[in-house]
Amino acid sequence: MKRRQGWLFFIIFLLTLSVYLLINYPLQLGLDLKGGSQLTLQIIKEEGKVTRDELEAVNSVIDKRVNNLGVSESNLQTLGGDQLILELPGEQNPLVASRVLGKTALLEFRIQKIGTSKELKSLQLQRFNIKELLEQYTSLEKNQYENNFYKTIQANLKEIEQELNFSSTSQDLYGKLIEIKKYIDNEITNLFLKTDLSGKDLINAGRRQEQTNSNWEVLLTFSNSGGDKFAEITKSIAGTDQLLAIILDGESISEASVGSQFANTGITGGSATISGNFSAEKARELEVQLKGGSLPLPIEIVETNTIGALLGSKNIFKSLYAAISGLVFVGIFMIFNYRILGFVSVLSLVLYGFFNLALYSLIPITLTLPGISGLILSIGMAVDANILIFERIREELYNGNSLTRSIDSGFQRANSSIVDGHITTLLSCFVLFLLGTNFVKGFAATLGIGVLTSLFTSLNCSKTILRFFTTYQSLRQKNLYLPKNNFSN
Amino acid sequence: MKLFNIELIKNKRKIIGFSGFLILLSLLGILYSTFNTSYKKPINLGMDFVGGNELRIERVCKGGCSDVSPDSVLENLRRISNNKTFLNNIKLQFQNDNKLISIRSPYLSIEESNNLITNLENIIGPLNYESKDSRLIGPKLGKRLLTNCVTSLLVSLLAISIYITIRFDRKYALFALLALFHDLIIVFGIFSWLGILLSVEVNSLFAVSLLTIAGYSVNDTVVIFDRIRENLRSRKEGFNETIQLSVNESIRRTTFTSITTLIPLLSIMLFGSYSLFWFSLSLSLGIIVGSYSSILLAPSFLLKE
Repeated sequence: MKRRQGWLFFIIFLLTLSVYLLINYPLQLGLDLKGGSQLTLQIIKEEGKVTRDELEAVNSVIDKRVNNLGVSESNLQTLGGDQLILELPGEQNPLVASRVLGKTALLEFRIQKIGTSKELKSLQLQRFNIKELLEQYTSLEKNQYENNFYKTIQANLKEIEQELNFSSTSQDLYGKLIEIKKYIDNEITNLFLKTDLSGKDLINAGRRQEQTNSNWEVLLTFSNSGGDKFAEITKSIAGTDQLLAIILDGESISEASVGSQFANTGITGGSATISGNFSAEKARELEVQLKGGSLPLPIEIVETNTIGALLGSKNIFKSLYAAISGLVFVGIFMIFNYRILGFVSVLSLVLYGFFNLALYSLIPITLTLPGISGLILSIGMAVDANILIFERIREELYNGNSLTRSIDSGFQRANSSIVDGHITTLLSCFVLFLLGTNFVKGFAATLGIGVLTSLFTSLNCSKTILRFFTTYQSLRQKNLYLPKNNFSN
Repeated sequence: MKLFNIELIKNKRKIIGFSGFLILLSLLGILYSTFNTSYKKPINLGMDFVGGNELRIERVCKGGCSDVSPDSVLENLRRISNNKTFLNNIKLQFQNDNKLISIRSPYLSIEESNNLITNLENIIGPLNYESKDSRLIGPKLGKRLLTNCVTSLLVSLLAISIYITIRFDRKYALFALLALFHDLIIVFGIFSWLGILLSVEVNSLFAVSLLTIAGYSVNDTVVIFDRIRENLRSRKEGFNETIQLSVNESIRRTTFTSITTLIPLLSIMLFGSYSLFWFSLSLSLGIIVGSYSSILLAPSFLLKE
């Protein structure tokens, strides 16, 4: 008896500890419960696997960009060797993040090939035209679609295609416009030769509004060696008709001539500005990308989940209803069938709930919807062990054994079945946790923890509580343990 | 103590026949689904596995929400959207008295999805962004998730098989596994049929439910086989009679645990978030089929002629 009393105090101690933990370390809620966005970024590598170093490098660039964007409480983590997960809590629009993060931001400085001025001029003109068309297309009001505007755009597009000697393959007009613009960008880039100056030579980037108009420009600050390279390059083309192009991810964002006054020294001072008619937003995005450096490998945003805050709190309440009603009905079922034993299992279920939640906040486990369903499901599994034991106790009682003896051998004989039976569920959880996605991991973790906790509560806690009850003479009548009508069997 | 009296020995043929019938029905569904549906897969794969865009958002309306026809909304969307290709394959529905809009379409970028929402607002009035539930999954990730789920299933089935073989002698292990595959095939088949008849799709949570069912079903069978082994050691009656007795002794326990597991699942289906509905349903089906196979099918295999 003494040993059991020790257990009783231990259980009470654990319960107090759990309540203390839950009050001081509140549960972490996943985005599907508190609202927010989650982006999954996939690193693209044509050949071979993404190495650890590459993953680290991508991670650090993305991390810098996220910080420079100034999103609050964001969380970035790697997943499965070649993926990154970015969480943006609250009502932050994932659009800006996706635009800034998705780009490789490979910045190149190139000089024009000699004797290509004519080609460049014609391409620049077509680029201007296609940009105009794109703008017209996107600003069309819906009632204008039937009107001649649409046809005008199509006609203009045809003209550009003829000029370029290129025919687009896209089905719809918008796709065609985009395709032709890409083609032109590519052609322009090909008119320029690579230099050894690139985004790697930057130490900082900034932005400011142009003085003459409302457009923005982006300021680049080179490192010492970068500044030297820049001076060298500008010196080589100063006064000629060769242009210097600044190319971002294969698209030239600025082409400029270098005046003959720089023919002796080049442009010194280690800084440059890009003024490519940026809007405030675009200038900021470019600044963030350049500050973070270019990505060693391109990435693609393969998944975006967005959950509104209201929906999140609704999900919490729905889960709460489901959990509580599940608990109550399981409790009613157990008490109806097992009387005092059922009551004991309800008590250990309540303990089970507290211990489980305390473990979540201790480990810590972020609670998500699938996680909660794992928790609710494990309520059912937690009583499973109790049922096994109680059935044994009933049998022993029917066979005419005394209450204490029945309880003892009930627990003893059911032990191995219970442990064995739960191992298969634990195996499934383990595999799910190892191989599953983030979403699935939540379920596996809560179900697995649930099964383990339930082993403790249903074997140990219910035994201790039952022993405690049976110390009272009034609670030792057999009919409190068995519904009467069953005695007839 | 004998509360139940199921004549397992007499009904062996009926039980195996019934299970055979269920499996045949499931295989039929799987075959039909593979060859005769638009998606040509054994089961209707949801956007988790094929990629796509799913959007649910509520409208802000004073009083009741006006009646709008999805067709007219689509018509308008076609007019004002820049990218029109995805509109050929879009599903748009109004639910909850026209309040909730739910949209399914092929994969969109975040930018395109934002445009879609803005366009929607232009057509049907303001939307409540706080109620937004949007998922965009690229086709590449979908494929990856699918392989991921299939490997998870295979690995854990292998792990369970190994465990069972170590735990029991070979005959018991084989029968427990047969019962397990029986359960999985039937649940899979039911969802194949649901896909064919009600275009219910399965996502990664369905794979999770199959894994959980696997663990649970074996758990049930282990308990009954344990009972059989225990009774066989101290048997007074014949081999078959002892098995029948053991089954009858375990029925209460198995049905009770199934009920206590079904109760929380039912409450998730009734009160929980809609995203967990089909998940809970497949788990419930798995538990029902699993208890049937543990009580009746697996012990029937053990019976001697």
